[in-house]
Amino acid sequence: MIVQIAGLITLILSLTIFAVAFFVMRGARERVPDGNKVVYKVRKYYAMVLALVLLGTFSTTLLYTPYKALADTTPAAVVKVTGHMWRWEMEREGAPGPVVVPQGATIEFAVTTSDVTHGFGVYDDDGHILAQTQAMPGYTNRLRMVFDKPGTYHVLCMEFCGIMHQNMVASLTVE
Amino acid sequence: MEKSIRKATIAWLLTAFLVFLVMVTLGITMRLAQGAQVSLSPTTFYAIMTMHGLGMAGALFSGGLAVIWYITSHSCKVSLGVSWAAWGLFVVGAVVLLAATLLGGFGPGWYALYPLPFVRPAWPSWATGASIIALILMGVAWLIFQLDILRALAAKWGAKRLLAWEYIAGKTPEEPLPAQVLIAAMCAIAGTLGTLSGAATLILYLLKWLSPSVELDPLLLKNTMFMFGHTIVNVCIYCGLCAIYYVLPRFTGRPWGVNRVTAIAWNATLMFVLFAYFHHLYMDFAQVKALHIIGQLASYGSALPATAVSIFGIGSQVYKSGVKWSFTPLAFALGAIGWAVGGVGAVVDSTIMVNTYFHNTLWVPGHFHTYFLVGYVLMFMGFLHDFFKSSAERFAVGSLVTMLLGGYGFLLMFYLGGMSGLPRRVSSYAAASFGGLAEKGATLATLGAAFAIVFLLGAIGFGFSVVKGRGAAPEAGASPDPAS
Repeated sequence: MIVQIAGLITLILSLTIFAVAFFVMRGARERVPDGNKVVYKVRKYYAMVLALVLLGTFSTTLLYTPYKALADTTPAAVVKVTGHMWRWEMEREGAPGPVVVPQGATIEFAVTTSDVTHGFGVYDDDGHILAQTQAMPGYTNRLRMVFDKPGTYHVLCMEFCGIMHQNMVASLTVE
Repeated sequence: MEKSIRKATIAWLLTAFLVFLVMVTLGITMRLAQGAQVSLSPTTFYAIMTMHGLGMAGALFSGGLAVIWYITSHSCKVSLGVSWAAWGLFVVGAVVLLAATLLGGFGPGWYALYPLPFVRPAWPSWATGASIIALILMGVAWLIFQLDILRALAAKWGAKRLLAWEYIAGKTPEEPLPAQVLIAAMCAIAGTLGTLSGAATLILYLLKWLSPSVELDPLLLKNTMFMFGHTIVNVCIYCGLCAIYYVLPRFTGRPWGVNRVTAIAWNATLMFVLFAYFHHLYMDFAQVKALHIIGQLASYGSALPATAVSIFGIGSQVYKSGVKWSFTPLAFALGAIGWAVGGVGAVVDSTIMVNTYFHNTLWVPGHFHTYFLVGYVLMFMGFLHDFFKSSAERFAVGSLVTMLLGGYGFLLMFYLGGMSGLPRRVSSYAAASFGGLAEKGATLATLGAAFAIVFLLGAIGFGFSVVKGRGAAPEAGASPDPAS
């Protein structure tokens, strides 16, 4: 949903830029001394509106960063994730074997790496990216998320990590 | 003297333009490989990817610095010796880098994220060392070139005046500060700080290459590397704007000077340019959270002076000005539009909440290729056309239309890929065998390559137009006093 909204906003604003530019460039052919004063008048309002929109978007979206997502919940499962060149090692704490996590509960991925930086990207089976974090040597990034539907989910490496980077995939099951 | 200055500028401009064309060709090769239209081994693909990133950023940044150096030379005494020395260092660095990547197979990406260049590399050790040394040579070239610009500006205008603080304080100086001085100073200051950050990173890389037991902090080096890469790429656009501020008034007949609003805007831009790079690290949750917030704040903030001052400034320059839409003003206006459109994609992606979905997907090359290919590059071409006094207007405008068609088509494939969640920097999408990602990735890459070929034909056409028509155009319009 966020991806579609972001795409739509980009499209609408881009088309608006083209339309305004077309209007201004057409109006450029005629020479009127001081004919550009209107641009400065519009600019005042534009700057105020833009500042308000940016400030509003800034403060609203900061409430939804991934850093504090689900921080007030207790994870139903913690999955330790280690990136290696070029495979993912994933293990649910207390449950060795293929990773199976419960649907509708908070899952924490504790993500790190044994060698170089990787990117831990979680996709649903329809190819939509759901969340991601980086796997950096010497650091553990904790990503919390809830899987709404049961099924197979996929992991792609989102950070270039060497010649087999494109093959670094894994999967997990949500029940 | 003017002849010697022009000769040195031509060396830079031609080098930048020719490297640009080669790098576009490498980019097309990558998209064709991702579309499975040509077969490349992963080693070759990533070596090409590394060269494409470094070569493109390096060429366009060098071209941008040459533009502001040349503009600076009109009011200040720049050093020819420094320019030629910097050009020589840059060319040697570029040749070594080409050899290390395309022959040696050095392929950790332009940003060579620590410790990737040193862990199980698929290329020989000499290629790593040669690449680091090549980049240091290029960094030294940019550093002395920028310092010379700052020295020349400070000698003529006084160091205290360069960022127009007197205007912010509400004073009206006896001798007005030309806008191009303020912009060139801002570019050279930001570029110098970015280059220094790169130099520190590369010296540590060199140390690691010479002494492999040295351990460095990956998060710190990721910060310093992006401060370097993001800043110099961002500065390119402002170099393009410097050309617009300086050249466009000749076509519109309207002076374009500094006032309090522009002074505040460009000082704010300097701050935003230096701190926006944090948005590259949003997905590093271990980074101090305040830096993520500063990254979003700086990225959002940059939209205000960029559009309300520079884009509106261009609008007020041309609106009801009676300007004849010859190649240079047209390329400037279209470049500004491309910059604004690319900026929208950038601001959207700089929202932490959205970046969760777009980080390292094709959305990212989508937005930065927008403000490069159909933004800065068009501004640069507008300057080239004017600099060489090209009279081949129809040929050049035809090439411009071709570039726009190819360029926007090429970019659309990136945006669609980003919205589909397709990762960037992969040699093949075949392993993403779920949700139709592999098929989407290959199809969009093939279409992107086709559009990019159209763009390349337009860019080559533009090059021919300059060669064909150089030196034959009359001076455009009466020159208004840019300082007033």
